[in-house]
Amino acid sequence: MSWVGIILIFALVDNVILSRLLGIYPRVGGAGKMRAALSIGVSTAVLMGISALAGWAIDALVLDPLQLGFLRTPAFVLSVAGLAFFLEAMAARLSPVLVRGSGFSLPGVAINCATLGIVLITTRGGYTAAESLIAGLAAGLGFMLVRVLMGAISERLEIERIPRALRGFPLELISAGLMAYAFMAFDRAFLARILGG
Amino acid sequence: MTPSEVLSRGIARENPTAVLLLGLCPAAAVSVRVIDSLWMSAGVFSVMLLSSFCMALVARGRMDKGEIGPGAAAGGWLGALVLSSFLTASFELVLLSVAPEASAALGIYAPLIAVNCLVLTVIGESSRASSPGRALLDAAGKGAGFAACLLLIGVLREVLGAGTITLFPLPGFSGTFVIGSLAHDPARAFGFAGGGLLCLGYLAALARAVKERRL
Repeated sequence: MSWVGIILIFALVDNVILSRLLGIYPRVGGAGKMRAALSIGVSTAVLMGISALAGWAIDALVLDPLQLGFLRTPAFVLSVAGLAFFLEAMAARLSPVLVRGSGFSLPGVAINCATLGIVLITTRGGYTAAESLIAGLAAGLGFMLVRVLMGAISERLEIERIPRALRGFPLELISAGLMAYAFMAFDRAFLARILGG
Repeated sequence: MTPSEVLSRGIARENPTAVLLLGLCPAAAVSVRVIDSLWMSAGVFSVMLLSSFCMALVARGRMDKGEIGPGAAAGGWLGALVLSSFLTASFELVLLSVAPEASAALGIYAPLIAVNCLVLTVIGESSRASSPGRALLDAAGKGAGFAACLLLIGVLREVLGAGTITLFPLPGFSGTFVIGSLAHDPARAFGFAGGGLLCLGYLAALARAVKERRL
């Protein structure tokens, strides 16, 4: 598959939140702040890309040759957690103000299912190293897109009159559900049309 | 608090899915069919129960040696991750040998039990529990609450979205109940990803409304 195809599939057609339903947790819209949603989205995209590449390396170079396929889950979980710690330490050294200001931690992202889910999807899909990296980054891009959209919707909902029981996360879930139906317009037929295949 | 109160707290007042909003990803993703909801519930329940018990035993051992005081966490989240990932891998192997079709249906969501926020939260709480028995009871209550929600969403989505209820096949029974007119003209939207998110949203709103009415 072409790289453009991989990017469109992972960012839109198989969107990590709206199609795969991964990474759903309270404040999916980033506490109603689009800036926070953007910073979390960028960090997650980087972590997903690097984790997908690391997942490919672990699977193709270690687990498969040694026939240790049954250790995939612990190996992937620990590699994603380790990478998250490493990236956060690096970010804290390069830009401590930015890391402290963003108020969120990469290890927290590592243990939400979205990152591990992308590693599992790319390794099971038989992608090459470069394709895994692109797929991970594209999935992160799709994650960021949905978070920013949800952030914008949350900001708009804050000024609306809404029944108490629905306020906050329940309505964010319902909005995400309606957005998931809208994202169904991005299907594989759509992809084939725009790629001319 | 009596054992029955601990159990019922996890099922109703502190229901992990509807009230605490934990473990939402599998609840929305695998609840397209009742049978998949049951297998996922079994996975989360068993991993949570065993890991909580192990973590509570480690905490008890470290407390007896005087390494930590009562109520302190026995291990960080890395310990919880190691424990849950190895137990999840064991569950995957058991599922693959017992029910390969269920293993295929759960797909990537079976290994994702390892990083399920409900499982990790319960493991964290169990390392501060007063005894392994109490940790086990708490995990059982929360696991039952999660299973109840998943079953409810699964029934709702499969009945409305496909007009069927799929259970375990038995000799002389295909495993699928077909619900007359609904099967001919189902509301297929419930079977899609958006249907899972809508069901979860309305369930969370219903739980909040019930809680507020009680207060």
